[in-house]
Amino acid sequence: MKKRRIMAVFMTAALAASVLGGCGGSTDSNSSADNSNSADNSNSADNSVPAISENSGNEDNSSSNGSGDIIEFTAFFATPGAEINDDNEIQQLIAEKTNVKVKETWLTGQTASEAVGTIVAGGEYPDFIDGGDAMAALYDAGALVAWDDYIDKYPNIKEFYTDEEWDKFRQEDGHIYWMNAFQNIYGEDKTTTHNDEAFWVQARVLEWANYPKIQTLDQYFELLDSYAEANPTMEDGTAIIPYTVLCEDWRYFCIENAPQFLDGYPNDGSCIVDPETLTVIDYNTTDTAYRYFKKLNEEYHAGNIDPESFTQTYDEYIAKLSTGRVLGMCDQWWDFSATVNDVFKQQGLDKKGCNYVPLGLTIDEGMENQWYTSGGTLNVSSGLGISVSCKNVDAAFKFVDDLLSQEIHNLRYWGVEGVDYQVDENGLFYRTEEQRMNASDTAYKASHICSYSYFPNWLGTSRDGINAMQPTEQPFEFMDSLAEPVVKCFEAYGVSTYPGMLGSVNKAGKWYPMYSFSNTMTTATPGGVAWTKMGEVKHEWLPKIVMMDNFDDAWEQYMEVYSACKPEDFISEMQAELDRRVAQ
Amino acid sequence: MNKKKTSAADKAFTIFNTIFMVAFVVITLYPVLNTLAISLNDGIDTVRGGIYLFPRKFTLKNYQTVLQTQNLKIGAYITVARTIIGTLLALVLNAILAFIVSRKKFLFKSQLSLFWVITMYVNGGMIPTFLVYKGLGLTNSFWVYVIPGMISAFNMLVLRTYMQGLPDSLEESAQLDGAGYTVIFTKIISPLCKPVYATIALFVAVYQWNSWFDAMLYNRMSSQYTTLQYELMKLLSSVMQQSGSADAAKNTAAAVTPASVRAAATIATMLPIVCLYPFLQRYFVTGLTIGGVKE
Amino acid sequence: MARSAETAAKDKKITWKEIKRQKVLLIWSAIIVVYGFIFYYLPLGGWIMAFQNYKPKDGLLHSKFIGLDKFKFLFTDGTFIQVVRNTVAMGVINLVVTFVMAIVFAILLNEVKNNFGKKSVQTISYLPHFLSWIIVTGILHDALSGTGIINELLMRFHFIDQPINFFAHPGYFWPIVAFANVWKETGWNAIIYLAAITAIDPSLYEAASMDGAGRWAKIKHITLPSIRPTIMILLLMNVGNVLNAGFEIQYLLGNGLVKSVSETIDIYVLKWGISQNDFSLGTAAGIFKSVVSIILIVIANQLAKRAGEERLF
Repeated sequence: MKKRRIMAVFMTAALAASVLGGCGGSTDSNSSADNSNSADNSNSADNSVPAISENSGNEDNSSSNGSGDIIEFTAFFATPGAEINDDNEIQQLIAEKTNVKVKETWLTGQTASEAVGTIVAGGEYPDFIDGGDAMAALYDAGALVAWDDYIDKYPNIKEFYTDEEWDKFRQEDGHIYWMNAFQNIYGEDKTTTHNDEAFWVQARVLEWANYPKIQTLDQYFELLDSYAEANPTMEDGTAIIPYTVLCEDWRYFCIENAPQFLDGYPNDGSCIVDPETLTVIDYNTTDTAYRYFKKLNEEYHAGNIDPESFTQTYDEYIAKLSTGRVLGMCDQWWDFSATVNDVFKQQGLDKKGCNYVPLGLTIDEGMENQWYTSGGTLNVSSGLGISVSCKNVDAAFKFVDDLLSQEIHNLRYWGVEGVDYQVDENGLFYRTEEQRMNASDTAYKASHICSYSYFPNWLGTSRDGINAMQPTEQPFEFMDSLAEPVVKCFEAYGVSTYPGMLGSVNKAGKWYPMYSFSNTMTTATPGGVAWTKMGEVKHEWLPKIVMMDNFDDAWEQYMEVYSACKPEDFISEMQAELDRRVAQ
Repeated sequence: MNKKKTSAADKAFTIFNTIFMVAFVVITLYPVLNTLAISLNDGIDTVRGGIYLFPRKFTLKNYQTVLQTQNLKIGAYITVARTIIGTLLALVLNAILAFIVSRKKFLFKSQLSLFWVITMYVNGGMIPTFLVYKGLGLTNSFWVYVIPGMISAFNMLVLRTYMQGLPDSLEESAQLDGAGYTVIFTKIISPLCKPVYATIALFVAVYQWNSWFDAMLYNRMSSQYTTLQYELMKLLSSVMQQSGSADAAKNTAAAVTPASVRAAATIATMLPIVCLYPFLQRYFVTGLTIGGVKE
Repeated sequence: MARSAETAAKDKKITWKEIKRQKVLLIWSAIIVVYGFIFYYLPLGGWIMAFQNYKPKDGLLHSKFIGLDKFKFLFTDGTFIQVVRNTVAMGVINLVVTFVMAIVFAILLNEVKNNFGKKSVQTISYLPHFLSWIIVTGILHDALSGTGIINELLMRFHFIDQPINFFAHPGYFWPIVAFANVWKETGWNAIIYLAAITAIDPSLYEAASMDGAGRWAKIKHITLPSIRPTIMILLLMNVGNVLNAGFEIQYLLGNGLVKSVSETIDIYVLKWGISQNDFSLGTAAGIFKSVVSIILIVIANQLAKRAGEERLF
C-alpha cells in the first residue's frame, strides 16, 4: 500500500514536470520525450515489483528463458571476479549435461562484510553463496543449509574430503554448512609453480654467480650486492636495484612475515606454531626478526635497497619489476608473476634471464625451510554454501556433485576437446599456442569458458591417471612456458619445478593454517583488538626501523610501542584455537 | 590621465589573466590527456610506465574490452533512462522546494530549510537505508535510482540563493495582477532561473550518469536494472582480480591490465557528458539580462 | 533592507488568511517533508546500532544493547584523537584552498573577453572532475616520484641535489592532498559561481565603465558583491563538511611512513569497523561526525545571521 502511494506521488511529480517544462520554450520537445519515457518505466516497475515480493529468493526461475527443464540458480561470491556472458558456450554445455545453470555475481566496490551485511539484513539470499571473510556472519544469521544429510548422497562431494577433514568444517552446532573450493589435490600432486611466498632472485644473477648454493639471508644479499656491483646498469643504462620492498597497505606482508619463514616455519600467517611443544610463538619479536630487520637496515644504508621501497604503490612496484631492474624481492608469486612475466616476454627480457626463481632462505645455514608446504592448504573458515532461499536444495547439491565429475571438471578447466585443447596418441592433453592465447583472452573467456571457479575444484592428477586436473599444472604446458634461462637454472640445481628450488617437502601440521582463525578475529575480543593494533604499529614501524640510522635504538622504540598493543592477548587467543585444533 | 592609467592596468590584467588561464589549462588538461594516452596504449606496455601524452604502442584493445562488457546495451538504456528521469524529477522538485523557501513571506521558511540542511550531515548507514528501501519496495526496481536522493539540500540551497537574488518586485507586481504562486513560479521565476537550472541539471545528470553503487546494492540480483557504470565497475574489479590470482599465472600476454581498462572506461563514460556540456554551457557563459527592476 | 526584514517578520504571523494564501506552498511543503522524512530521517533509526552490539542476524530490533561502549572505545583510543586531528586539518586546508581557487578561477574566467577561449577553457577545466581518485593519485605519484617531473625540475634548477621522496615525509602530505583536490575540482566547483555571475545585470558594468572603473574595480565592486550570497551559502555548507575530508585520496596516497598524518576518520572506521564486521563502531563514528557537523553549521549560521549575511536556515 505504502509503495503505491509513493508511486502516486511521483507520478504526480512527473506530471508536474511536464506542465512546468512547457514554459521553457526550448525544453518543450525534451520534456515530452522524457515523459513518455518515465511512463514506460513506471509500467515496467509496476509489473516487476509484485513478482519480486512474491517470489523473493528465486526470481530468476520465473524469468528464465524458458529453455525447458534447465534450473537457473544464482550465486554470489564475496570476492571480485569476472562475470561470464549469459550465452557462454561452455556454461550452456554444462547446463545441457547437468540441467543447471548458475548466474554468478561477484563482489564489486565493497568489502565482503559490507556485502554480506546487506544481504543478511535484506534476508534474500542467492542460492549459492560464498561469504569470504564474512562467512561466519551467514552462519550466524541462519542463512545456510546444513550439509550433513546430503554429503553421503553425493559421492563426488563426499570424496572431496576425508571424514576427518569434513569434521573440521563443523560449526559450533555440530553441523557442516560449507566446503572450501580450493587447494585440494586429487591423486599425485602435480604442482609445478610455487604460488606462495619466497625470496625471489632473477635467474641471470644465479647464472652470473655460477649457480651457488644460497641458503641464508646474508648469502642472498651478498649475491645481490656483488652482482649489482659488477653490473651496475641494465643494457639501456638504467641503474640496477638490488632489492626492493613492497609495503603498500595489506601487501606489506612482503616485509612483515619473512621472519616466520626464516625460522623454518610455514606460512601460518599470524604466528609460529612450535610443533614440539604445540605453543604459539610471536614471530615479530624473535631474535630472527631482529636479525632480519637489522640486515635490511644495513642494506638500506649501504644503498642496496630501493629508497622508494616504503612509499611505492603496487602499480609502481610492478612497473619497477617489469623493467627487469630489480634483482630480488620477497613476495608471493601470485602478487607479481602474471603481469611481470608478460611484460618480460613482450620485451624479450625473459630471454635475458630476468625471470624470478624462488630461494628457500633461512636465517642460519643448515635449517629446514617450509616456504613451500606440500599437500594443499585446507582453509575451513570460508567456502561454498547453499542458502535457505534455495528452492531446490537437492538439485543444488546434485549440481556441485556433477561439477566434480571428471567429464564436467574437464569442461570447466580444459574446455572442449579439439577446440580448447588437443589429445595426443597417449591420451595426454596439450594446447596449441593459439589455444593458449585464447585461454587468456578476456573476451574469449567471457563468451566461451566457464570454469565455475568458486565451486569446488581439484588440483593434482585427473582420474585418467595421466593428465593434470587443471592445465596450469600439466607438465608439458608448464615446461613449454618456461623461459630458457629458467630452464637452465633448474637444470643447474637439478630440479624440474619451482617448488624444487625451495627444496622442502614438509607437510604442515594439522592446525595449519592458523591465519584462517586470525582472519576471522574481530575487535569484539581483546585478542582481536590487539591483532588490529599490532598490524597498525607494524605498518608504521617496520619501514621506520629499516630507515632509521641507529637500528638498535629504533628496534627498542619499536618494541616498546609494539608491546603496548598487548600482543599477549592475541597470542593467548591463538593458543586457545591451536589447542582446539590439536584436540579435534 | 586617469583613463590612461586604468587602461595600462587593464592591459597588465589581461596579460596576467591570459597567462593564468594558459597555465590552468595545461595543468588540468594533463591528467585527461594522460588517461587518454593510456587508454590507447597496449596494456602490458603501459605497465612499464613512461606514458605521458602519447601512446607508445597504439591499440584499441582496451576499448574493445570495455565494449565487450556484458549487458552493455541494457546498462546503457537504464543509465540514459535514469539520467533523464532522475534529472527531470530532481530539477522540478528542488526548484519547487527552493521556490517555497525563497518566498520571504512563507510561514515555515526557516524551519523547512533547517529540515533539509540537517539531511546533508546525517546518514543512517548502509544497512538501515537498505531496510527502508526494501520496506518501500524499491529494491529490485528501477525506481531506486531516481526516487531516493531526488531532493538534495545542496541543490535546493544553490537554487534558493539564486532565486533570492531576483528582485522582489517581480513577485509583488505579479501578485498585484492577481497571479498565484503557481503562476509566479512557472511564468516569472523559472524563466529567469535558466542558468542555475542548467547548473543543477548538470550536477544531477552527472551524478546519475556516474552512479553504480545503488545498482550493486539494491539490484544485485536483478540484472535487468543494471547500469552502465555498474557493468564497467564489475569489469574493472574482475580485471583487477585476474592480475592478482593464481589463475592468471599464464604464459601468454593478457594484453589488458586494470590501469588501461580503467583509462578506457573513464574516457568512454566521460564522452557523453562532455558532449552534453556545450548545450548547457551557453546558459552560464553568456549573461542574461534580467528584465524588470533591480533593488 | 532592514525594513523588509521587519515586514517579513510581521507578515509571518500564522493567520488563517495567510495559510489560505499560501495553500499551494504549504501543500507542496507537506509532500516534500513527508518525502524527506522517509528517505533521510527514517534510516536514522539505524543510529540505534551505535548503542548495540549489532549482528546482522539479530537485526536492529534484537541486537544486544551495550550502551556507550562503542563511543568509549572511540574516545579512549589514542589514534582516534589523531585521526580526528588529521581529518579536521585536511578538511580545513582543503576547504580554504579549493574554495578560494574556485572563486578566483570563476571570476578570472569571466574576465576572458574572447568567447571561444572562455568556452574552451571552461570545458577543459571541469574534465578532471570525471577522473577517479585512483587515476589522479596515480599521476600524482608519478609526478612526485624520484624520477618524476617535479624532482627533475627541482634538480635541473639546482634547488636540490638529491631527489625528494615526497611521500616519505609527513610534512608534505597535507599540501599534496590539498593540491590534488584543487587540481581535480576547481573547474567543477567554479560552475556554480559562473552561473551566479551570469545573473549580474550587464548594465551595472556599463555604468561602472562610464565612471572610469578599471577591471579590478569592477571585480571588487560589482562581481564579488553580486556573487557574495552564493559564496556565503557554499561556505556555510562546507563548514559542516570539514569532517568529511575524504577517504579515497588519503587511502591511495598514504603509506606506513606518513600514517600519523594521513589517516582520516573514514579510514579509521573502515579499519576498525567495517573490515571487522563491526557495523556498530562505524555508526558511532558517523553519529560523532554528524553531531559535530550540525554544531558547526549552527554556530556558523548564527554568526552569519549576526553579520547580516546570507544564511542556511
